[in-house]
Amino acid sequence: MANLSLDTNGSIARIEFDRPNSSANVFDRPALEELDQALSQVEANAALRGLVLSSAKPSIFIAGADLETLADADAVQMRELILLGQRVFNRLADLAVPAVAAIHGACVGGGCELALACDWRVASDDAKTRIGLPETQLGILPAWGGSTRLPKRIGLPAALGIILPGKILRAGAARSVGLVDDVVPRERLVDYAEKLVSRGKRKQRRFPLLHNPLAAALIQSRARRDVLTRTRGLYPAPLKALQVVSRAVTSSREKSLSRELEAVTELAARPETRRLIGLFFLRERARKRKIPGGTPLKISRAAVIGAGVMGSGIAYWLSTKRIEVLLQDIDPAAVARGMASIEKLYAEGRKRKVFDAVSAARGLDRIQTTAEQAPLTSRQLVIEAAVEDLAIKKKIFAGLARRCAPETILATNTSALPVRELAAVIDHPERLVGLHFFNPVHRLDLVEVVRAEQTSAGTLATAVAFVQDIGKLPVVVADRPGFLVNRILVPYLVAAAERFEQGTEPEAIDRAMLDFGMPMGPLRLLDEVGLDVGGHVAHTLAAAFPDRMRVPEILETMTKRGWLGRKTGIGFYRYQNGKAIGPNPDLLALRQGKADADGLAPELTGLMIREAQRCLDEGVAESAEDIDLAMVTGTGFAPFRGGPLRYAQDAKLSSRSFYPD
Amino acid sequence: MLLFAGVRTPFCKAGTHLAKLDAVDLGRAAVAALLARTGIDPGEISEVILGCVGQPVDAMNVARVIALRAGVPQHVPAATVHRNCASGMEALTTAAGRLATGHGDLFVAGGVESMSNLPFVFRQSAVEKFGKLHRARSLLTRARVLAAFRPADFTPRAGLLLGLTDPFSGLNMGETAEVLAREFDIGREEQDAFAAESHRRALTQAGALREEIEPIALGGKPVSQDNGPREDSTPEKLSRLRPVFDRKTGSVTAGNSSQITDGSVALLAGSEAAGKRLGLEPIGRLVGWAYTGCDPKRMGLGPVQAIAAANARTKLGIGDADVIEINEAFAAQVLAVLKALRDPEAGRRAGLDSPLGEIPLEKLNRRGGAIALGHPVGATGARLVLTALDQLRTTGGKRALVSLCVGGGQGAALWLERL
Repeated sequence: MANLSLDTNGSIARIEFDRPNSSANVFDRPALEELDQALSQVEANAALRGLVLSSAKPSIFIAGADLETLADADAVQMRELILLGQRVFNRLADLAVPAVAAIHGACVGGGCELALACDWRVASDDAKTRIGLPETQLGILPAWGGSTRLPKRIGLPAALGIILPGKILRAGAARSVGLVDDVVPRERLVDYAEKLVSRGKRKQRRFPLLHNPLAAALIQSRARRDVLTRTRGLYPAPLKALQVVSRAVTSSREKSLSRELEAVTELAARPETRRLIGLFFLRERARKRKIPGGTPLKISRAAVIGAGVMGSGIAYWLSTKRIEVLLQDIDPAAVARGMASIEKLYAEGRKRKVFDAVSAARGLDRIQTTAEQAPLTSRQLVIEAAVEDLAIKKKIFAGLARRCAPETILATNTSALPVRELAAVIDHPERLVGLHFFNPVHRLDLVEVVRAEQTSAGTLATAVAFVQDIGKLPVVVADRPGFLVNRILVPYLVAAAERFEQGTEPEAIDRAMLDFGMPMGPLRLLDEVGLDVGGHVAHTLAAAFPDRMRVPEILETMTKRGWLGRKTGIGFYRYQNGKAIGPNPDLLALRQGKADADGLAPELTGLMIREAQRCLDEGVAESAEDIDLAMVTGTGFAPFRGGPLRYAQDAKLSSRSFYPD
Repeated sequence: MLLFAGVRTPFCKAGTHLAKLDAVDLGRAAVAALLARTGIDPGEISEVILGCVGQPVDAMNVARVIALRAGVPQHVPAATVHRNCASGMEALTTAAGRLATGHGDLFVAGGVESMSNLPFVFRQSAVEKFGKLHRARSLLTRARVLAAFRPADFTPRAGLLLGLTDPFSGLNMGETAEVLAREFDIGREEQDAFAAESHRRALTQAGALREEIEPIALGGKPVSQDNGPREDSTPEKLSRLRPVFDRKTGSVTAGNSSQITDGSVALLAGSEAAGKRLGLEPIGRLVGWAYTGCDPKRMGLGPVQAIAAANARTKLGIGDADVIEINEAFAAQVLAVLKALRDPEAGRRAGLDSPLGEIPLEKLNRRGGAIALGHPVGATGARLVLTALDQLRTTGGKRALVSLCVGGGQGAALWLERL
């Protein structure tokens, strides 16, 4: 057996998963068959009084089904694989002796379903231990018994709370919801698991108040409403999962498992699912990407220049990733405001249980602020995030070069200015690179790594590895106006503003794009970004591409009047406590005419598609995959459509093909 | 030993701007600012040594907690030192001792005190009852112990007041100042004038003081200034305050005593070789120092013997000093010290065979002293070193003499030299 080993020397059998030549354990057909064999040996051995399942990998218990296998499977193969998994996990659940899962590391998807088929689950208290069922994020649902066993184990409402959004929990949270029974130190994990054997076979838990047809129906209808508001009905997987999970609590295991099978085969055939799985692979690719010809240096100490929204957002994110940060701004008041916003982010993180009190306090400690031109010789990376003004940036970089060691990487977070212009004012310009983070930094996974003509392979390699280290997704882009994401996004935002000028209602414009699958309408997005910031990028692009880009008059008017969006409380919409409460009536009064939103989504997405094509042709990004990943992770472009180029090909909106199908 | 850099937090009256920060937060702010301003790799530090008088109950060896939180890596050790009001100076001279004996070559030395956060303690009567309650097993005994509590058990004793009382002589620090005012004939008017001058200097030198400070960001606003100095602390206004420690015949008031304050100071010091290795420019040299003992009832006279001893060790005299800092615990106490240094008769009473010389007031505490800026006891010793070095820089002077009186009956004095 290659994927696992079975040890039956003692009175408690042990199955240890250890897939060869891989850092992860996954389930494919051979792995499931081996597990099946091992279980049959356990069944046959009357001397055994229990079974413990564990993993030999340092950071993964079982990462779930092998997605490559899943993505390549046709309908028949898929059915067979699901049936095999269901049968093997049933065999585990039906053992005469108690089975205990000793979970250290990622235990997700099929791994979690395996654990659910055991009688008892104990997890290590390690930060690497994560348990959950993320299937709906890939457009499918847990179909190896997870949709059936989880609600019966922890109750319908709690199970829906995990399965519908596709949640993955830390050990402590998993214990609170009952997904695991105990959390112990890693070194004691297997010993403790063996002790749990003496608790015997587990009895089915009953939830008489929740799991009766009436209550289940009520819970289901409420959850359905929530899912529909969240997804606008664009994602079939959570809705399907909701049906299967809700009915599981009043059905037999076999009936529920066959529902899982029907649902997953149906979902797997849908285009949304293929796109979501495709995106998963693109993310993995960006996470692992290496720059040829460059050896990355490890960054442990960094400085951020400028304590505004971006600077403090970046400083916060780095500090959460164990990087010591010096946050500098010439204005002590700006430093204090930046620190206050960072403290707020940590407080929110604590509320969402991302940090406990101690790790939040240590994170804050990693940031030191100063208004002095302090020496930066012990910093391996400096990220400039000052105002978008080339003259100011040049002045800053000239100063930085003097304060840093000659090998310190100098990065700018500019969103549109030419990076190469900064090379002139520094020595060793090969250490210059652009690191364009997106606002809000803690939410958006994308970082555009801008390769200026001076940037060396070593600098680029370090920049890409750094972005990966801090848990973001790097996309390497050329030093062209607006880089990649803004270049594609601006024509779309400008067109939305023009449609507004022509008399279309702002809500109608935004609703059209929400229905297309955008996370936020374009006018709300402009308000969020700030009309001044958006206008600045639009100007840069209009100057670079005068043939097709322009800045609509309305943006100028709004900037002049101080209607800068949410931060000023008024933009296209009015805001109260940061929430939009209706259109800006004074702005509505400025325009004449009335127009509807007919054809709006095709027009606006068409603009993005055409600009994305140009970016591909001009080499702004290296591949269609990079462009699609950047647009989904940087702007939230409807993930189930796979990105603008993927969508263009699928919907036949372009005569070209960007992906081999 | 060379000094390379120094920085402090603003000094803020207890219960005001910095009250929400505990001693660890304050110390972390100063040490982290020192590391940021010098830009050194903190892994190069041999040891972090900090003075702190009121050790926080939740951070024993506060220097270690501060060092770790300021980004000093865990392999660097840290020690907290205590010599009451001279703790911040003790940290620096301890570092010099470590350097001299080959126990390291680069030190963060300084001090910290959050007088806002000194604890309140239960009375012994209550502590005993809590102990019994903890041990009580049966419901009946528990009820009996509970019934024994009296309202007076719950009146706490302020750690601040206990700390400012010398347990050996039983005198409060202010009472020791009253002793000196009586014995050295220091009048109320003279004390108030001295206090008013401290405020005036601190106000006119606010710009220079800001150079010593790294602002602390709190609630979205920077705290960048000391808040002790008052425009309205004129001799006339001060004369209206009532004596605190001897209400009937005394002369020591809240206005002519040092303020109760929160603050922290961090200095970077080490060998010449360490400075060269890290590319640090020295700002001064520690020439020599002395600690001496005296009568706890007259602890305010401490500087007299300490200065004499430091002079003897360094072969320097008061006339060699371009900058002089004597901590203003109380105006009466500083004035008594000055008198004992210049006046043969007063000097004899302070144990001097012959006077050491007159200290010119224009050289003494040019940026104001603890009466205006406050006296966070663990930090003050290091603040005096920081301000003396910075004054040498701005005045172009060569040498500075720094001295403090120490609760419990000691004196501390130290000579610095600009390079």
